[in-house]
Amino acid sequence: MSDRLERVVVTGVGVVVGACCGIDALATALHASSSLAAGVESRSPYHGEGSATQGVLSIGVDLSPWVPAATGRRMGRPSRFAAAAARMAVLDAGGAAVDDPTSTVVMATAYGAIEATEHLLRVERREGPAMVSPFGFTESVANAAAAHIAIATGAHGPNLTIVQREAGALTAVGRGALEVASRRSRCALVGCAEEMPPILHAFLDRFNALARGTATMTEAARPFDRRRNGFIAAEGAVVLVLESEREARARGARIRAVIRGFASAFDPTAGRLGWGRGHVALGGALTRLLERTSTDRSRVSRVVSGASGSIAGDRLEAHVLHEVWRGSTLPPILAPKGHTGEYGGGFLAAAVLGATQPNAGPTVGFDEVDPDLDVTPHGGGELPASDVTLVTSLAAGGAASWLLLEAV
Amino acid sequence: MLNEVELRQELKALIVQTLRFEGLTADRLADDTPLFGEGLGLDSVDALELVVALEKAYGITIRSHEVDKSVFTSVDSLGKFVARTLVAASTESAVNAQ
Amino acid sequence: MLSSPGRQQRRVVVTGLGAVTPAGWGVKAFAQAILSGRTTIGGFTRFDHVAQRTHIAGEVPPEPPTLRRVRGWHRLSNTDRFAVGSALEASQQAGLAWPLADADAAVFFASSTGGLLETERFVHALFDPGVATATRGLLASYSLSSPAEAIARRLGVTAAVETVSSACAASALAIEQALRAIRRGEVEVAFTGGSDCLCVTTYAGFNALRAVDEHPCRPFRADRAGLSLGEGAAVLVLESLDHAVARGAAPLAELMGAGASCDASHMTAPNPDGYWAAEAMRRALADAGLDSSAIDFLNAHGTATPLNDAAEAAAIGLVFGDRAHAVPVEATKGVVGHLLGAAGAVEAVATIVSLRAGTLHPTPESGPVDDALGVDLVLGRPRTSSTLRTAMSANLGFGGANAALVLRRWSEESES
Repeated sequence: MSDRLERVVVTGVGVVVGACCGIDALATALHASSSLAAGVESRSPYHGEGSATQGVLSIGVDLSPWVPAATGRRMGRPSRFAAAAARMAVLDAGGAAVDDPTSTVVMATAYGAIEATEHLLRVERREGPAMVSPFGFTESVANAAAAHIAIATGAHGPNLTIVQREAGALTAVGRGALEVASRRSRCALVGCAEEMPPILHAFLDRFNALARGTATMTEAARPFDRRRNGFIAAEGAVVLVLESEREARARGARIRAVIRGFASAFDPTAGRLGWGRGHVALGGALTRLLERTSTDRSRVSRVVSGASGSIAGDRLEAHVLHEVWRGSTLPPILAPKGHTGEYGGGFLAAAVLGATQPNAGPTVGFDEVDPDLDVTPHGGGELPASDVTLVTSLAAGGAASWLLLEAV
Repeated sequence: MLNEVELRQELKALIVQTLRFEGLTADRLADDTPLFGEGLGLDSVDALELVVALEKAYGITIRSHEVDKSVFTSVDSLGKFVARTLVAASTESAVNAQ
Repeated sequence: MLSSPGRQQRRVVVTGLGAVTPAGWGVKAFAQAILSGRTTIGGFTRFDHVAQRTHIAGEVPPEPPTLRRVRGWHRLSNTDRFAVGSALEASQQAGLAWPLADADAAVFFASSTGGLLETERFVHALFDPGVATATRGLLASYSLSSPAEAIARRLGVTAAVETVSSACAASALAIEQALRAIRRGEVEVAFTGGSDCLCVTTYAGFNALRAVDEHPCRPFRADRAGLSLGEGAAVLVLESLDHAVARGAAPLAELMGAGASCDASHMTAPNPDGYWAAEAMRRALADAGLDSSAIDFLNAHGTATPLNDAAEAAAIGLVFGDRAHAVPVEATKGVVGHLLGAAGAVEAVATIVSLRAGTLHPTPESGPVDDALGVDLVLGRPRTSSTLRTAMSANLGFGGANAALVLRRWSEESES
């Protein structure tokens, strides 16, 4: 078997995030001065007094151009988002061999189809097990979205669903890219899908993970900001088409970005629900990624950070970046989760955009530097020419994953 | 007891609603439209879903061995099956009441 | 330009095994159970099932008292406990001390339920506040990534920790991820496997699909009527041969290859012609550099649903051709049930146990084999053989994900 690896590129992107359908809609939204968030269902039986009220939701979004009613009639929401995003990505890539017998699907989800599960349990309890919906169960499994993508596209290669909380999306991209790089798969459909029903929103709120309004500030995700107090939860799906640069160029495809590298690590000092103190070890893992890919720090022209407004998460993120750039100035840092919220893939799509665009929108929610973090994210406007982009995600519970993207 | 025509109309509405055939009105579903394969294109999970809906709507119990494709050939065959099952159920409860 | 160490395909061996199954805590209890010819599937108390369609499952018995002293044990979900218990056993056998000394170990794991049982208790308490209190701690291990993270925290892992949740093929896919990571030099050691717990969602869900037998399941039998659910975990320590030799660790088996595919046709029913399941098996053989003639036995997925076993038999026919009826088949689910996300790992452990013992384990005797399937099922009594060298373990999942592993017994000659 040849040791020579393929260079892997992104040739298609599909986006269903909030009300945005398609990468162009998201690109526009990322330049706005407000986030994609809107009010969550306030009469939910799960929310308590004073709970968070905002989320980036895809309610009432018309996906029928990509998922006709007949195809989507049995899909739960994450599957429908994923199938629509996959269809968009395939159209965007224009002619990639997604239906190759080896083409792989690697999708991530943080919480799976939790509304289908909740509905199943409610019916089981109120009406008895005999009334449980067979569809409801098949749609409640975490791999439903990945299975629907394979059915829709004819991808007969490995079909994986990664569950790694906030680090899942980049892990899915990285593992899918490795399949293409090694030539085991001709094409990879990678990304993530999430739904954010009231029950999940309320659960996250119970753990004080969500941003809340206070007497002096509105409810908002404030990445890196001194006043940050949580993230905005989001739903949706983003799918990327990955293929070898060789094949993409041979068919004259438009290349959105090159996947230069991927690494994944773990901080065992993290508790089940939070972030740990392992910035030195995590910084070491990230440094090794740069070394392994022969990427000098000076070539990292921008960082698309997974900082979400989480108090502890953003702190660890800042410390890891400072650990790697010790003695040097940090590159410009984009923090799109102020716009896109956490989960649902908005961040991943923003990273692909952020890797190549000459400018970026403001970091919504950021106003005041936190001296402990010493990070001032990009305020909007032009960026230095794009070379290599570092994309970061540190998950609650300790997982970490990073991608290096390269502009063509 | 419903007459056959009313039962078939009810079943059509049940199929459309349970199996989420948005945009398919009950009057466009003929009595003899094949439910599986060409026609409505249902599969085995659709059949199970319908069984749950039928059990709930009519208070009947449908055993696993009864869930075979001949029952679900068309609205017509389904109507006959439900009618038979309802009759059997009411006979059984009449017998048990004695 | 993803980095490559530029090496030839590195050999990967298994240096430790751990298992928590309905047979008990430990590989020894599991090995005894699979050889016994008896099933462990029966009544269970994990949750109240009086209103369910069926009333049996493979349930893990209470843990040994020593494990209850593990720090934080009482806060872990059942799925986490099965995972940690298995990982501790496997790491002990592998002779790897905790915390691990260097950064060169990863966790590639699988689960399809995570902390769902405990989450169900929370949700039920929300539905009926008078009956129980919905305490937040019940949700803490909800994520499917929780068992892998629990192992990683326990062992001090700092390399990749990733969880796959592709239904019944999940842990075989996780094992494949671990194999690839070691071969490409990403890590030297990986803890891989899966863990799942019985819960209302899967029990009621599979029953809603009428896929559960009211009797202990009967894989490949003429009158098979569905699956039996089970719970538990298994962990394999995978290691590069170089690393194992350098530290004097004794390999138990070699993971020769892995392959995966997707039917991409239906959410629950497998392709009846078995084509893509066969393709996963063919890919595993190609990855191992072997022909199907090298396979001495198959540990089948064998869920005992009418459709699965028929599709799997068709796949076996496609892969093994004229030999198909003569390749012995183990059906571990007849003993412990379907462990969902842990099935692939538990069955890989069974395969290695059989290779090392030179004995094929039977599925419990209960009714004649379905002749139409043409499968040589090992039934009722163990079958000893002097020629058990290489085996395949197959897993065909819900949603069409298929995976296969090729394992070889380790012997003195193996190192050359």
